[in-house]
This record gives sequence, C-alpha cells and structure tokens, in this order.
Amino acid sequence: MREFTATVLENVCIAEEIWSLTFALEEEQAVRPGQFCMIGVENFPLKRPIAICKAEGERITVCYRLKGEGTRKLASQYRAGEKLQVLLPLGNGFYAEESEKRIAVVGGGVGIFPLISAIRAYAAQKEIYAYMGFRNKAAICMEYEMQRAKRLVIATDDGSYGFCGNAVQAFKNDFSNARPDVIFACGPLPMLRALKAATAGMGIPVYVSLEERMGCGIGACLVCVCDRTNGKKARICKDGPVFEAGEVVL
Amino acid sequence: MADLRVTLCGVELKNPVIPASGTFGFGREFNEIYDISCLGAVATKGLTLEPRAGNPVPRIAEGHGVILNAVGLQNPGVEGFLSNDLAWLKSKTRVIANVAGKTLSDYEAICAKLDGLVDFIELNISCPNVKAGGMAFGVRPENVAEVTRVAKRACEHTPLIVKLSPNVESIAANATAAEEGGADCISLVNTFTGLAVDIERRRPILANNTGGVSGAGIRPIAVRMVYEASRAVTIPVVGMGGVTCAEDAIEFLMAGATAVQVGTQNFTDTLACPKIIEGLNRWCDAHGVKAISELTGTLCPNT
Repeated sequence: MREFTATVLENVCIAEEIWSLTFALEEEQAVRPGQFCMIGVENFPLKRPIAICKAEGERITVCYRLKGEGTRKLASQYRAGEKLQVLLPLGNGFYAEESEKRIAVVGGGVGIFPLISAIRAYAAQKEIYAYMGFRNKAAICMEYEMQRAKRLVIATDDGSYGFCGNAVQAFKNDFSNARPDVIFACGPLPMLRALKAATAGMGIPVYVSLEERMGCGIGACLVCVCDRTNGKKARICKDGPVFEAGEVVL
Repeated sequence: MADLRVTLCGVELKNPVIPASGTFGFGREFNEIYDISCLGAVATKGLTLEPRAGNPVPRIAEGHGVILNAVGLQNPGVEGFLSNDLAWLKSKTRVIANVAGKTLSDYEAICAKLDGLVDFIELNISCPNVKAGGMAFGVRPENVAEVTRVAKRACEHTPLIVKLSPNVESIAANATAAEEGGADCISLVNTFTGLAVDIERRRPILANNTGGVSGAGIRPIAVRMVYEASRAVTIPVVGMGGVTCAEDAIEFLMAGATAVQVGTQNFTDTLACPKIIEGLNRWCDAHGVKAISELTGTLCPNT
C-alpha cells in the first residue's frame, strides 16, 4: 500500500446517485479483487474508503454513492486532469481456492462494485453466477461488466427490471443452477445476514465484505472494528474487509 | 540542513515530530508505508493493565476541519505490548508508552511494568471516551497532582509525561498541578469533548454519543493552551492539537513546546509526519535558524 498522487481521468454519473471515478496512478499497481482505497477530498480531514471496481495497470476505477458532503464534493469538484490523493491497495480482498470452480457473487446497492472486481478477476478461470440487486431500473449500472459472469441475474426491489426481489432471494431462487463451491457477497448488513441464514448448514464457504466508518484505513487506529465470533475484535480495514461469514458477528 | 534534534527530559530525539497516541497503533502499519525510524518518537496507542475491547462502532465522525473519535482505549494490554511490539518499536525510534487506568493503583501498576523499558511514559488522564478513570483524573488540579504523584512513584528510571485535558477550568492550574505532582514533562492538548448529530435519525453519529474532537479546527485553542501552560511551569511541554504541516508545528514551538505530536493529520495524509519533518528543515534553512530548539518559547506577545 502506498500514498499516491493520482490524476483524474473521468468522473461521471452512471446511475441515480452513483458516480464512477477513474484515475491514473503514478505507476502500475497490482490490486486484488475486493481491495479498497482511501480517497482524499480537499478540506476534509478523513479520506473516503471506497471499493476498487476495476484495476488495469495504473488505471483504477471506483464507484461511489453520493451520501454526504464529502462524496458530493468528490463528484462536483474533481474533473479530468485534477490531482487526487489516494491510498491503496488496502485490505485483504476476495480469494477463491483452486478447487473452487463455481463462484456465486451476491451483491446489493454499492456492494456490487467490489464484486465486479471479483467477476473481472475470476471470469476467465471460474464459472461465475452473479446475483445483483438494485432498488429499481434507474439504479442499474455496469451491466456490461457483470455480463462477464456465466450467468447474471439482476434483481430490482420494485420488479421494474429482471427478478422482482432482492439479490439473496434471486440467489435462493436460482440455487439449483449456481450450485456454488464458494460465495462472495457485499451489501447492506440485513442482506448479508439473510445470505448467512440462507446458506447455514450447506457447507459452502461464504465470504462477506464489510463496511464501516474508517480513520486511518491501514489498521493503526482501531476505529473500524467488528466482532469476531470468538469474542475478539477484527479491524475491517486491515484484517478485512472480507471475512468468512461464520467468523464474524453480522 | 538545520539541526532538528531536541532534548526532552535529558533524552535526545532526532527531531521534534511525534505521532500522537491512538492515531498510529504501535507503528507497524505506518512502517509499511514509510520507515518510521525517521520520527523523533512514537506515542503508542493507550495501554491498560488488561486488554480492552473498546466502544461499539461507529467510533468516528467528521466535522469541518475536525473529527470526533470514541475508540474507548481498545488495546491488547500492557503485557501484549511488551511481548509483541516494544522490542521492534525500540529498534526504530524513541518510545513514549501512553498509559491509562481506572484507578490510582492501575496507574501505578502499569507505570511499574513499563519503568526502565521505554523512553517515556505518557499518562493519559484525559481520555474523554471511557466510563471510568480517564478524564476523571484530569479535570481537577488536585486529582491531576495526586495521579501524577502516584504514577511518579513507579517511574524510577523513566521520565513521566502527563497528558493534560483541555476540558478544564484553567490549563495553567492543571499544568502547575502536574509539575507539583512530580511530572517531568507535560503534553497537551488531548481532545475536546464534542457531539455530532445525525439529524435524519435525531441521534448522535457516534455509538458512544460523545467523542473527542481533534484536527486543524482546534489548533488556535490548543496553541493558546500550550502558551498558557508553558508559562506556568518550568518542565518541558509537548504541544499538540491540529498540527497539519511544519508551519503549524512551529506555532506550537514558538508558543512554548519543545516537541509536537501529530494525530488527525496521519489520517488525512499517511505521510504527514515525514512531510512535517522535511518542512521544518526547509523552514529553518529559509529563516536562518541553525537549530530548531532555538524556537521554543520565542513568541513575543503584543504589549
């Protein structure tokens, strides 16, 4: 991990309240699927932790939701050519064993973006079954990236596109097709809890990527912790953000 | 190339820049980004006798120019630090062990465990985020003096720094109380108690409700307090509160500090401390200052 001064290449709205930011690092950087970066926004003391969606050499793409003042400023002020302070690559990321040939990815909301990095990384060697949930048709984005999966089911809460329901329901409904060896998931906590419950006792490893307000992003400040089922604390930024679902309290 | 060395309680630091307790762990993570042996010293994460789990999340919030934190002293306990981290950290730079307790005897016991093993012990009597102890010892001057006296009994070989809370009636009175209690040095300011509100939910953002406010926005208050405290005592002062760059650090030195700690800025920029060290050198060279130690307490107030 390193502190980079990156150059913004593109920063555009791709769906309702969702922006895609592509920047160039000073040099190539290897990034594992599911890792994240901390992006500095001028005059804000804290960097914003944002999942990496695509990493191609020195070009990195992240997608973010307009959530507060910081992300709104990121969207409105950082145009192509501007400099950006970025710390990356952070966290552990998703990892599939050699023996795990069939991967189900289950994502909801902005949780789909780190899963896109997993689809991109594994689509060539593995069979990927993707279940991606959105609020409605207007919220859908990056469909072309998700189509790298062997099978893609898009779900909308209001049924305006694809499967009517959430990503976990879509996954359960299509389970006989997917029959995954491993599951990668990212999304709101209730979604992750439902997935954990739906897969309990199946013996399929489920890896969930967690989110929390962060301080340093590198494991030093102990701000973004979660509880392990063994009673200990884990640092989401450093020990995660990806955890085996059975290993953490959701 | 200016001489950046400073001497604190007879211990030489290669420069006056120290990452502040709680923002830097025990240094290992930042050492993955830069070699932390460039630092004057490291103030460790606050240590307690037993391991602590800390507060629920969210533990951090942000305001304009400030952050609020309520980590609540999560730490592996002093024994964990001694066996896993101290030797490594000592091989890098000077070590300031920051310690906290719930009772007077906790403070004495933890100081006894660290005495002679670290370069300094920094007494955290000003943590606003824990239910017992912490700030309770840091508010009234008589309590500051008492906890300092008790801790000092256990610090036979190691200089004792007392870290003062800004949430007090008179910083000068509390600085004097620490000196009278036997402190070898004082550091200030710890965080200001604050509250950030999520107006949609009508709830505090932090799980702990209140948190400690730090960052650039508190700097003028911190500089004023360092100035007042340093005028009230004869022991050295370590200044902190919103240092973001070399120029900010110099404000603290001129106001009376011998060294400075850098906290929140480590989050804004992981390279903050090495950049500040470089900046101090550049500033001294540009201003004909041969040794940075010449700057301490040189502020000339308007008459």
